[in-house]
Amino acid sequence: MSIDVEEKFVTPPPAPVPALEVRGLVKHYPGVKALDGVDLVVRPHEVLGLAGENGAGKSTLLKALVGLVKPDAGEIYVRGERVRLRSVVNAAEHGIGMVFQEQSLVPNLTAAENIVLGSEGAGVRGGIYRWDRMRRLAQEQLDKIGSHIDPLARTDSLSFADRQMVEIAKVLRIEQRSQHPPVIILDEPTSVLEAKEIETLFAQVRRLREFASVIFVSHRLDEVLDVCDRVTVLRSGRSVGEVPTAGAAPAELHRMMIGSTGSDDHYHDNVATRAETPARPRLVVRGLSGRTFRDVDLDVHAGEIVGIVGVHGSGREDVCRALFGAEPTTAGEVTLDGAVLQLSGTRAACAAGIGYVPAERKIEGMVGPMSVAENMTLTRQRARCSGPLVSPRKQASLVDSWISRLSIRTPHRGTPIQRLSGGNQQKVVLARWLVSGDVRLLLLDHPTRGLDIGARSEVYRLMRELANSGVATVLLADSLEEAIGMSDRIVVMSDGRVTAEVGCPSGAKPTPLDLVKEMV
Amino acid sequence: MTVTVEQAAESVVQPKAAGLSQRLTAWMPVIALVAILAALTVADPGFFTQRSLTAAAMTAAPLIVLAAGATLVVLCGGIDLSIAAMASLSTVFLALWLPDLGGLATPAVIAAAAALGAVQGVAHVVLRIPSFIVTLGGMSIFSAVALVVSDAGTVPVTDDSTISWLNLYVARYIPMSVAVALLVVTAIALVVRLTPLHSWVTATGYSESAARLAGAPVDLVKIGAFCVSGACAGLAAVMLVSRNFSGNPSMADNLLLPAVAAIVVGGTAITGGHGGLWRSVAGALVVTLLRVGLPIVGVPSAYEQILYGAIIVAAVALTLDRSKVMVIK
Repeated sequence: MSIDVEEKFVTPPPAPVPALEVRGLVKHYPGVKALDGVDLVVRPHEVLGLAGENGAGKSTLLKALVGLVKPDAGEIYVRGERVRLRSVVNAAEHGIGMVFQEQSLVPNLTAAENIVLGSEGAGVRGGIYRWDRMRRLAQEQLDKIGSHIDPLARTDSLSFADRQMVEIAKVLRIEQRSQHPPVIILDEPTSVLEAKEIETLFAQVRRLREFASVIFVSHRLDEVLDVCDRVTVLRSGRSVGEVPTAGAAPAELHRMMIGSTGSDDHYHDNVATRAETPARPRLVVRGLSGRTFRDVDLDVHAGEIVGIVGVHGSGREDVCRALFGAEPTTAGEVTLDGAVLQLSGTRAACAAGIGYVPAERKIEGMVGPMSVAENMTLTRQRARCSGPLVSPRKQASLVDSWISRLSIRTPHRGTPIQRLSGGNQQKVVLARWLVSGDVRLLLLDHPTRGLDIGARSEVYRLMRELANSGVATVLLADSLEEAIGMSDRIVVMSDGRVTAEVGCPSGAKPTPLDLVKEMV
Repeated sequence: MTVTVEQAAESVVQPKAAGLSQRLTAWMPVIALVAILAALTVADPGFFTQRSLTAAAMTAAPLIVLAAGATLVVLCGGIDLSIAAMASLSTVFLALWLPDLGGLATPAVIAAAAALGAVQGVAHVVLRIPSFIVTLGGMSIFSAVALVVSDAGTVPVTDDSTISWLNLYVARYIPMSVAVALLVVTAIALVVRLTPLHSWVTATGYSESAARLAGAPVDLVKIGAFCVSGACAGLAAVMLVSRNFSGNPSMADNLLLPAVAAIVVGGTAITGGHGGLWRSVAGALVVTLLRVGLPIVGVPSAYEQILYGAIIVAAVALTLDRSKVMVIK
């Protein structure tokens, strides 16, 4: 493969019409610019890598390419012809298909049924399945990718890797609709595969190149470099670089992905206020194991912010949920200030003084139609009650005082929280753990996800204040920069295990690249 | 890590203030109530009299209690299909226990119904079975038990001295059963309103995972809701027995559809979270008026069931916020 690439590199072909071209694609969401003028070129019979940090706009771009997202501005050209993609079916008519990250097969149908699902064509006559014809259609698809999967096997009896092959075979059905070589998008196809399966997938991707163009998305840079001909790097909704993979180094790519590192000011870092570290850690985790993590050890001192970093599948989110009693554990011991925690459920965790801010704010963090006041007091009801009854007066003064302390911008404490902006919503969710003043450990799962710069900065300031007041914090940051900027210590997780621990004191911060080395 | 910017960005979207349609659905039960009263009065001027209104209210009493109790379950995001069968079973229990227990029979029946409701709640929460299935099973079981213990027949009540007070009138015009129904509903509504229960029930109904992660006692709240729903069915049974002087294994069975109709006509969201007990009271009155009104406008009562079916579907169609429900099952 590398020879192939080098040839291309040395003698560029006389610029054929790109299979797919994107120019200046823009997509706004209120408060966030998901795409800010993305350019992208996919040449015929090329594997193009797409790299970028979380939130760089990869997903939005891919969704725009299969018609799931309607861009605000910019153009998409298929073989030189401008197109408007209205839906997945419409995109398929133009020869663009995507293998989704979350598999989209129906588990209790056969592979053949899944492959022809939605495009049965000759497999159905008069509304009735013609099994032999359908099996043959599916077999044709599987032959195309050289797979030996039995088309009559039930999908849920196949391995994950095989199911992915079925998905690819299914996506290739778009050739039926379009006369031209298709463009196949693979969104994080390797994230759940074993090493051997990844090799099979890569062989498949190389085979696909014979008759199609491929966009390959992965956050594992080594994979991108291995299988792709070129890489386009996205950062903050823009394409910031286009690199031939031959001769490119992961470090160089990574630097392009993260750009210049942010200044410490942004994270409100302040050496002077850092408390002395007491001898005994507040949270001690020993040998914690669960579905997706094994033998996790973790210490967090009072007043300390410990960041856990790791790629998708590292298990760090589940460790966080397990500490909150929201994810079952199979082994291990957890003590908080010397007392053994049972991890029996979220109620027990709350009672022990543990607070958790979930990543999915809209679904798990807040109850949208409920008021700011009710959301803020949902956990610590006693703070607003006198006896068994809710005291409206107590609630008003409590909630109002926190609204002003955290400068939450809301018309009124009775306003439904869903009318607030993301940053203010997040501050209410955080305040939930603060109203009673007895929180000892905060577990923050992507607390700044989806927030704009200003709101992020305020959440950072709040985290600092809490740490300075003695709260122990576990932070799953949105980006490596954020983890480095906010944490006093960083624990690196990979494949469910802790692989490294990096000191991260103010003034002697590691670089993102130091961490990436441990993560992959 | 699929941090999709769009996921995050959606949360920044600020929904518009309540629109006309929302305000309309908020007042739907009251508007419907007034409209139906007016229509019936026009159709038969004799309808708007103290006598027929009192009769209608008396018919409504058991339905009000049944619907209000089940509303709690619906607010938590579940459904209780067993209420009617539970009430039927309770009429049999009451008729059987009255000779031995006398005045204690009423609280005993309500306690038994509450306990059965709680058992359903525990089955739902601990075994993690959808409430729809648990109470469908409960419905069948309660009906069968009622048939067995009553020998598949009506159990007459010879001495109704301890329950006949329900047939008295308060302040000369208000039937006692109606007064009791309103009192009980008000009491439950107040307890929910004035304590943290309101937050817990609403949060559980809107987003169970968010409620759980906020440390709300989701499981207890749900079990409690089923327990109250059961107790209300027990009370409804006492009202039915006091009116019919007997217990019967299918006495309340035809109240299930009207009760569900009362809840949805009241505007309580079938998906949970949004709604309230008073809404179901209004809904129960609407349903009752329709029921007694059909013969007045000349529609044979055999058409009643068609009406309930249509009401339920139409009311849910009006109140369900489909934009929030991804998959309709």
